[in-house]
Amino acid sequence: MKTTQQQDWLALDGAEGEGGGQVLRSALTLSAISGRPFRIERIRAGRAKPGLLRQHLTAVQAAAAICGATVQGAELGSTRLSFVPGMIRGGDYRFAIGSAGSCTLVLQTVLPALWFADAPSTVTVSGGTHNQAAPPADFLIRAWWPLVATLGVQQQLVLLRHGFYPAGGGEVRASVTPCAALQPLDLTERGALRQVRAEALVARVPAHVAQRELARVTQHLGEVAGEARVLPPDEGPGNVLLIEVVHEQVSEVFTAFGERGVSAEAVADRAAREARQYLAGRAAVGEHLADQLLLPLALAGGGRFTATCASSHLRTNAMVIERFLPVRVEVADEDGAARVTVHPRVD
Amino acid sequence: MKKTVVIGFVGTVLDYAGKGGQRWDKWRPSVGLCQQDDLLVDRLELLHDSRSRGLFERLRQDIAAVSPGTEVRSVEINLRNPWDFEEVYGALHDFARGYAFDADHEDYLIHITTGTHVAQICWFLLAEARYLPARLVQTSPPVQRREEGVAGSYALIDLDLSRYDKIATRFAREQAETVSFLKSGIATRNARFNRMIEQIERVAVRSKAPMLLCGPTGAGKSFLARRIYELKKARHQLNGRFVEVNCATLRGDNAMSALFGHVRGAFTGAQAERAGLLRSADGGLLFLDEIGELGLDEQAMLLKAIEEKRFFPFGSDREADSDFQLIAGTMRDLGQWVASGRFREDLYARINLWTYTLPGLAERAEDLEPNLEFELARYAREYGEQVRFNAEARHAYLKFAMSPDAAWSGNFRELSASVTRMATLAEAGRITEAVVDEELARLRQGWRTQRDSPLRALMGERFEQLDLFDQLQLESVAAVCRQAASLSDAGRRLFGVSRQDKARPNDADRLRKYLARYDLSWQQLHSS
Repeated sequence: MKTTQQQDWLALDGAEGEGGGQVLRSALTLSAISGRPFRIERIRAGRAKPGLLRQHLTAVQAAAAICGATVQGAELGSTRLSFVPGMIRGGDYRFAIGSAGSCTLVLQTVLPALWFADAPSTVTVSGGTHNQAAPPADFLIRAWWPLVATLGVQQQLVLLRHGFYPAGGGEVRASVTPCAALQPLDLTERGALRQVRAEALVARVPAHVAQRELARVTQHLGEVAGEARVLPPDEGPGNVLLIEVVHEQVSEVFTAFGERGVSAEAVADRAAREARQYLAGRAAVGEHLADQLLLPLALAGGGRFTATCASSHLRTNAMVIERFLPVRVEVADEDGAARVTVHPRVD
Repeated sequence: MKKTVVIGFVGTVLDYAGKGGQRWDKWRPSVGLCQQDDLLVDRLELLHDSRSRGLFERLRQDIAAVSPGTEVRSVEINLRNPWDFEEVYGALHDFARGYAFDADHEDYLIHITTGTHVAQICWFLLAEARYLPARLVQTSPPVQRREEGVAGSYALIDLDLSRYDKIATRFAREQAETVSFLKSGIATRNARFNRMIEQIERVAVRSKAPMLLCGPTGAGKSFLARRIYELKKARHQLNGRFVEVNCATLRGDNAMSALFGHVRGAFTGAQAERAGLLRSADGGLLFLDEIGELGLDEQAMLLKAIEEKRFFPFGSDREADSDFQLIAGTMRDLGQWVASGRFREDLYARINLWTYTLPGLAERAEDLEPNLEFELARYAREYGEQVRFNAEARHAYLKFAMSPDAAWSGNFRELSASVTRMATLAEAGRITEAVVDEELARLRQGWRTQRDSPLRALMGERFEQLDLFDQLQLESVAAVCRQAASLSDAGRRLFGVSRQDKARPNDADRLRKYLARYDLSWQQLHSS
């Protein structure tokens, strides 16, 4: 998998596709793994605040740290960046990020690279674990991790403390044992429905909020296993509702965050609606899991899955992946859902 | 990359939100500033008094959670009354002087949202005076519908206005208007003149120092002085009057009294008190034309008046005050006059700061046409009658006026008179070729008469037989002789350089022999 450095530079256009931070994060991971340096221009060109924001800078710094990369243009507001990776080194990494950033985005950037490091690693990320802008840590742990485990990845993910926006202060730890190669994945079916369970978390928020959310979920989805958890007050203030839908082949997690001025019922409606839509379909994974699954699949060199839809994040990811790896990503429409296939490419 | 350092007060009102978890629901400017996704505060210096230590500590902890990369420092500063301007300014000034600014490695922002309004004003003044090498940063609370959470937003304010394109454009436009104003809207084409006026505009707007306008009579010194006055008055930099005097008209006791005023009974006939021109110009602009003609005593008084803004009126033992902007005009080479002792060196040094030489009309031939337009418009304004040239007439006039034959020894004043004559003689508002021909003959005649120097009268036909080279030299020599007190005096001036190499200079003899070649003598020239 790992090739020597000093290959041709890859030139990327940051405004292409989804046009946000996704191009950059995928490129960082893929560059570290493939050893191929890249230059990216027009980073987030069309956005209200173009260029690198703090959370993107954090991802760049984290990626650079694990592979000893030489980076130019890593400044706030910078719209161009060059990244020359070195060897991926296993080790004990700690990244402290602000509450507006997300621990999960950092983990998603560095973990796939550490799968191919020369030694085991632990990665501790402190800061925001639960905010609107990114999948919560629970999603990584319950939905993404089991799937990548089936690819042959040996890693553990532990949520040590919750860190809600805006106070932050959460912590997630990952332990990774490197592997030589990944197994292809074939995930076109969900298998039989095993369980639907809901979990309402409150920290420094009245417990009745959690109870009301669970009651509302039941109205939408019928009787489901429900659990209200009251977190230690110093992890708050914050509230999140998680609905986990477990099938034989795959687990999906749908979330909604409580916020000031939004009733517990409205929060529950959001998560339950997503879960219901997923349950009504037949595709194996939902929109967000599909985005996160593509890169491991490409690293495995092939495989396929079905998704409820192919988002712009997914298509953008596919584009960047095809630039770095000898694969071709095929996205086909299938009964309103998407069938995503990763083919090895013979050049 | 430079580190970003923010300096600001702990907001005892805005940053205070209690100790409970509900504090995260409230916008706190100092915390919000550290939560911006496109701004990383590397260090935050929080100013507070001893009573706010608890609040500071809580802010420090909360900022550590939301922005682990930010170092928060406490700066204790005790103010008895944070609404007292003098005290707050003093305290912040001390802070600014004592702070180890490292502008090469750090970028400074002053957070003005917290602290009293008085503190805000002081921050602004200190930043504007560059005591604080910083930009200002203003934070604002979140707007609900924009979903920016509780962090709110921020805006940087750079007091260097030239950094803002729209403001810079505005200034450029205003400056262009001012320059045009100084030129009375005449679109002059002479590059040297235009550059000079652009600089005069900058000096006039920024400085109160005296100006010296040199140049031949009629070059527009007085006109320009008045425009400068009007410009400064429009900008509220002056509120007094424009007072203009030609020093050549001031002689003897009258000069002192006219300039500095007198008290009743100061001299025979001084039956009433007189304020004098300097006092009339208080708060305004005094234009002293032909300042070289001022007597040495008046020069000394004037110097004191400029430097101290105080002087003694004639016959008074009580000083009078007057604060005026001075513009002096001269057609003389004052430097030369200082050398020959006719002008005080100290006064010259005082007024020779912004010295501009206005070129004569003949040196600005390309400006003749726009000035011709201006004069026609002036005539229309003053006499209520629009007068135009016939195309041929205009062509003929300009052709001559811009040619080397046109001496324009009276400069713009002469052009103005010429236009007035033609306009007056024009029938039905048209200046015809006939009118122009007549006017050109008049101009030529006038310049010939001037050229008919006293030398022509003395030498008759013989003068015409000399080369122009010799004519010009002889005329200059004659001019010196006319002003000199004696043949020796004239000789000393004329041979001022070469005489220094001679052991026994005999300038008088050299000059006498030179003149003798033309059958002329010093007596003849001096009395001519």
